[in-house]
Amino acid sequence: MAPTDPGPGPVLVARKWVDRRPTVDLLTGEVSTDPRSSGASEADEAALEWGLRLAGVWGVGVLAVTAGPPDAEAVLRPALAAGAGGAVRIDLTSPPGHLAGGAPSSRAVASALALVARTAGSRMVLCGDLSLDRGSGAVPAFLAGELGAAQGLGLVSLAPDPDRPGHLGAWRRLDGGRREELALAPPWVCSVEGGTARLRRAELAGVLAAGRAPVEVVTAETSGPAPPHPARTGPGRPRTHLLTGPDPTADARHRILALTGALVERTPPLTLTLGPGEGADRILEALRAWGELPGEEFP
Amino acid sequence: MAEEFDVVVVGAGPAGSAAALVLARAGKSVCLLERGPFPGSKNMYGGVIYPRILDGLIPNWWEEAPVQRWVTRRATMVLTGTQSLTVDYRTEAWGRPPYNGATAYRPDFDAWLAGKAVEAGAVLACETTATGLLGAPGKGGIRGVRTDRPGGEIGARLVIACDGVNSLLAKEAGIYGKADPHHFTLGAKETLALPARVIEERFGLAEHEGADFEIVGCTEGVAGGGFLYTNRETVSVGVVLHLPELAASKKRPEEIIASMKANPVIAPLVAGGELVEYSAHLIPEGGWVMLPGLVADGMLVAGDAAALCLAAGIWLEGVNFAIGSGMAAGETALEALDSGNVSAPGLAGYRKRLEGNFVLADHRKLRRAPHLMLSDRVQHRYPQMICNLTEAMFTVTNPEPKKGILAHTRIEARRAGVRLGQLARDTASALRTYG
Repeated sequence: MAPTDPGPGPVLVARKWVDRRPTVDLLTGEVSTDPRSSGASEADEAALEWGLRLAGVWGVGVLAVTAGPPDAEAVLRPALAAGAGGAVRIDLTSPPGHLAGGAPSSRAVASALALVARTAGSRMVLCGDLSLDRGSGAVPAFLAGELGAAQGLGLVSLAPDPDRPGHLGAWRRLDGGRREELALAPPWVCSVEGGTARLRRAELAGVLAAGRAPVEVVTAETSGPAPPHPARTGPGRPRTHLLTGPDPTADARHRILALTGALVERTPPLTLTLGPGEGADRILEALRAWGELPGEEFP
Repeated sequence: MAEEFDVVVVGAGPAGSAAALVLARAGKSVCLLERGPFPGSKNMYGGVIYPRILDGLIPNWWEEAPVQRWVTRRATMVLTGTQSLTVDYRTEAWGRPPYNGATAYRPDFDAWLAGKAVEAGAVLACETTATGLLGAPGKGGIRGVRTDRPGGEIGARLVIACDGVNSLLAKEAGIYGKADPHHFTLGAKETLALPARVIEERFGLAEHEGADFEIVGCTEGVAGGGFLYTNRETVSVGVVLHLPELAASKKRPEEIIASMKANPVIAPLVAGGELVEYSAHLIPEGGWVMLPGLVADGMLVAGDAAALCLAAGIWLEGVNFAIGSGMAAGETALEALDSGNVSAPGLAGYRKRLEGNFVLADHRKLRRAPHLMLSDRVQHRYPQMICNLTEAMFTVTNPEPKKGILAHTRIEARRAGVRLGQLARDTASALRTYG
């Protein structure tokens, strides 16, 4: 007898709680948050709405999940009010020796989310593609890696197949106004752009019940060292190179030619058509050739 | 019907939260509706909170209330374009428990008070606007409210309307007659960021101490007044303007604030302040003469919704009246629920409660004050006359000998177009009002 298909499980909607104006005690370093200035991003709101729509089509539940301190439940209550059947807060604890309150790594958050998804039997995860604090956006990708799931990131539209729960078409934005169409089957992790769906106005009964609904709390440990925050404060800049100046005894024309590199033999622009893996290898090869990867510190 | 409660309180401002806190502590099921994203997000005021009314409700409230500064300096200022006369009082006693008045940010203070109600068991529903009543007075009574949410009807044995100055619920219940714009003013203010140390130096304050200035004669000929008070790292400067005169003047409130900020007396106090907020709010200043009925079958009204804001010249108070009326509404609701009589006669104890404490006692006593303060002479003639009189008295004109005060008064009254008889009558009226 063939094993029964367990189905895709509930749609898990991951919501990132961010306080935009935390207060830091200058003496103790203790971070205080304010529920009035914290919340979820527009993209996370859109993800919740898409999750509710998909769940409605397929007749499955929605599980809202966030990671953070008790104040983070502020992003779960609206999800419960809007129709999520359950809510889980992941309380991420720092390993011994770590500063409390430091931001956990994307990998650690994804690992904890994957644990919740497995426990809930969910093979469909939706996230926003941008958090309020404009984080790295790496959690969905790490989560897909953890779950061995297909990725559909930065989506602008979803079209569920009503006859096959978990199966959907998805569209994402490409350069030049083009769209890429994806066909996804569970397990998948999708992130959606903000503005692709507006979160429905919750029914009053939902709002009243959400305030009293229990939120399940699971504890997970941040694995590995947390990155310093902020990891980088400015835009990416190419490394500096020592350039020798033009021959000061040359005339102006030759000095300009020397400075601009005009009339000097150079590698012409090259257009290659390669697969993703080959393309990445070719980019690394070029960077090495140009001296942009000294010491090979990039993975 | 989404749910049934003993009481629905509409509006999580000071009045609503105080009512909800009283009821929730007594074990009643209470739903507290707030149209903003959190309590206090829609609220503004123009001065000082006098929270001693909380003594009985939240013992030692000062240890946890989110206060900006404790007001230890209170000044009443008469301004003209180039002159000022200030009665300036300060005391260290107001900087110690149990304190007297405090400046606070309403989003902090209101959220704190609403949090107390929630801790006590009230159910808070934000971003939910009550759009109407279920039932009607005289037709089985009010039985709850409709809201703007899907499936948004809430049943309740009693509704307490604390939905602010334009209370739609009180109007729907027929508690208000036709609104008279002469009973309303528009409050508008700017909040300007300055370092705490600069504020303390300019206003002569110690850390945590605050100042509150009430100002007459700074409103560009529009009846009203001005105010200036200190927060921890901001100062708030604004005006309160009589609505019909503001409309007739064709001036904009921000222009009048700008003119006040440019006054040579005010300018050094606010110089360099960075504008961080501009807000405006309608104020029910009519006092006793505009008070509505306060109750209907199944409904009580409190706070600004009941026009319980005291605007009596030297006393400008609102938040304490809101809290006081909210507490009284909560206590009355408790009695009515326990007795099973939530009809208007069953709620008659509300008015008695308010008359028995400061809320209506002060309004009754100061019932002539709004009319006096907004009168033409107080607004437009006396500030100039008082400043000229003071200047004349303190200007040394040797070799000419000094004139007596009465002589100066006669001269300056004539210059200001005030007859001595009118001056005497207004003095007597002021004594009757404030005496």
